[in-house]
Amino acid sequence: MTDAANTDRWIRWLNTVQLVLAGVLIMAPTVWMVLSSFKPSFEVTAYPPTLIFTPTLDNYVELTKTTPFLSYALNSLIVTVGSTALGLLFGIPAAFAVSWTRISWPAILTLAARMAPGTLFLLPWYVMFRQVGMIGSYTALILSHAVITLPIVIWVLLPSFDGIPRSVFEAAQVDGCSVTRILWRIALPLVASGVAVSAILAFVFSWNYFLFALVLSNGDTKTLIAAAFNFMGEGSTQWGALMAAATLIALPPLVLAALVQRWLVSGLTLGAVKG
Amino acid sequence: MASISIRNLVKRYGSFTVIPDLNLEIADHEFVVFVGPSGCGKSTLLRIIAGLEPITSGDLYIGDKRVNGVQAAQRDIAMVFQDYALYPHMRVYDNMSFALELRGTPKAEIDARVKRAAALLHIEPYLDRKPKELSGGQRQRVAMGRAIVRNPKAFLFDEPLSNLDAKLRGQVRAEIKALSQELKTTMVFVTHDQIEAMTMADRIVVLQNGTIQQYDTPETVYERPANQFVAGFIGSPAMNFFPVEWREERAILSQGATVAPLDGEAASRLQRAGNAVLGIRPEHFAVATDAADGIAINVKLVEPLGSDTLIHFDLADVSAIARVDPALRPKLGDRLSLRPQPGKTHLFDAANGQVLR
Repeated sequence: MTDAANTDRWIRWLNTVQLVLAGVLIMAPTVWMVLSSFKPSFEVTAYPPTLIFTPTLDNYVELTKTTPFLSYALNSLIVTVGSTALGLLFGIPAAFAVSWTRISWPAILTLAARMAPGTLFLLPWYVMFRQVGMIGSYTALILSHAVITLPIVIWVLLPSFDGIPRSVFEAAQVDGCSVTRILWRIALPLVASGVAVSAILAFVFSWNYFLFALVLSNGDTKTLIAAAFNFMGEGSTQWGALMAAATLIALPPLVLAALVQRWLVSGLTLGAVKG
Repeated sequence: MASISIRNLVKRYGSFTVIPDLNLEIADHEFVVFVGPSGCGKSTLLRIIAGLEPITSGDLYIGDKRVNGVQAAQRDIAMVFQDYALYPHMRVYDNMSFALELRGTPKAEIDARVKRAAALLHIEPYLDRKPKELSGGQRQRVAMGRAIVRNPKAFLFDEPLSNLDAKLRGQVRAEIKALSQELKTTMVFVTHDQIEAMTMADRIVVLQNGTIQQYDTPETVYERPANQFVAGFIGSPAMNFFPVEWREERAILSQGATVAPLDGEAASRLQRAGNAVLGIRPEHFAVATDAADGIAINVKLVEPLGSDTLIHFDLADVSAIARVDPALRPKLGDRLSLRPQPGKTHLFDAANGQVLR
């Protein structure tokens, strides 16, 4: 065997090892969470952890019995869908405008807002929303979560819009299109997969966001992720129910990502490759 | 259909001036080609006419209407882009019907116009295909079809042949020319390829640094170039230039003592100027049968093209080319005697390059 072939074999082997290690590191907590949600409650915290056990749905039953789980789930859905829609409504034209005018500071501003710690917004928002009597309303939660979704939509779509040859837009201008019409008739259909990816990512990030809902919601509008925090009681945490809740909370983003995995990759690389 | 009139046009990007002051009249039904090297401002000028670039100062008229501030969408001009710029998500039919649909043209008329244009361009079998399923040449035709269906006031072409291979380029070039004769619409075509300019244009605009160097018919631009730049740009291989001066009552090539073969009229022009640049096109050299009649040269390189042969040689420190009969097959280092055809020499001012008349 030649040296080159030997080196290739080593590189392939090392790649496999790296992938397996990364996979174990990423997946182990998730697998542990899902398995624990099906364990009897006394086995959840057992040390060493049991791998062989009789699966039970008791934790899920207890979760729905002891908490208004479904209503929390509905709250999460309303806030997430609302903030994703809001992000798309403003993010699509914003990304197109940034790409069209090549004035990038508005996009950088939204990114800075996304990078800033959530606590920076929390206090002013709390005061503002309280003054207008909106604390605990879906509107306050949806508006606050738009800070999460809007930058995602803008920054996922920006390279997609940039990837469309400028001459295609110019051809549409010469054909008689206004800028708004170019966005809806030409640009948007061309970045459809980017829109889907940005919507999914915005949904996932908004669904998982904890801080705003913790402070700005009330008992009626609490989202799942904020409610799960309450499962950790002082001294008497229901670990089994908590694991069941965590599994259910993680389910929608995981299912979404799995369903559109191929789209997700092509959408994220859109604009990077001309074609 | 309309004329295009450009008056005192200036185009600047910040402090960089692309077009300093340009005046141009394009007549109705005329096929005008803008030609010039990269960065000469030809595409910028075309985009200004299309409404894709704003004017810094000056006026632009399409027909009788001043269109300075008029959006591209309202100018009723069709444009074919270098990369065709077809809408990738639309079928060929929809690409062609899109502009008509935007104008609210009735469906039956759209259908008739698209089919007529498709027949004219031989793209009927592809109407249901997406652009990515077409070859370069077919895409090019669709781009032209998209322009034709609109029946616009003028067609603008921005180097539409540069992405095609040499064979297809020649074919499409002929098709565009035939089309222009059939449609009888004002056409403005931008290219850096002087063969395209020569073969298609009613009149050629030769541009350099945003300034018109000459605006005339292809024949005039070729036979009577206004200056050394035009003379060097139009024609392939390019015109040969030799510094020449009037000395001891004779025209002498400045480097060395070779007598420049000038006829009486050209000699008197040189006599008046004292010194100049002598221009001779490669195809305007003839091989002299009598050695005393021409300039003796040593053959440096021979390029047989089939239809004719190019002979490279050095004369008065200048590398030059002569295009001769293919039957003549000189070898490297052979000594030949060349003489320019009578009346085919050009003299340019040594200082500013303008033709000496």
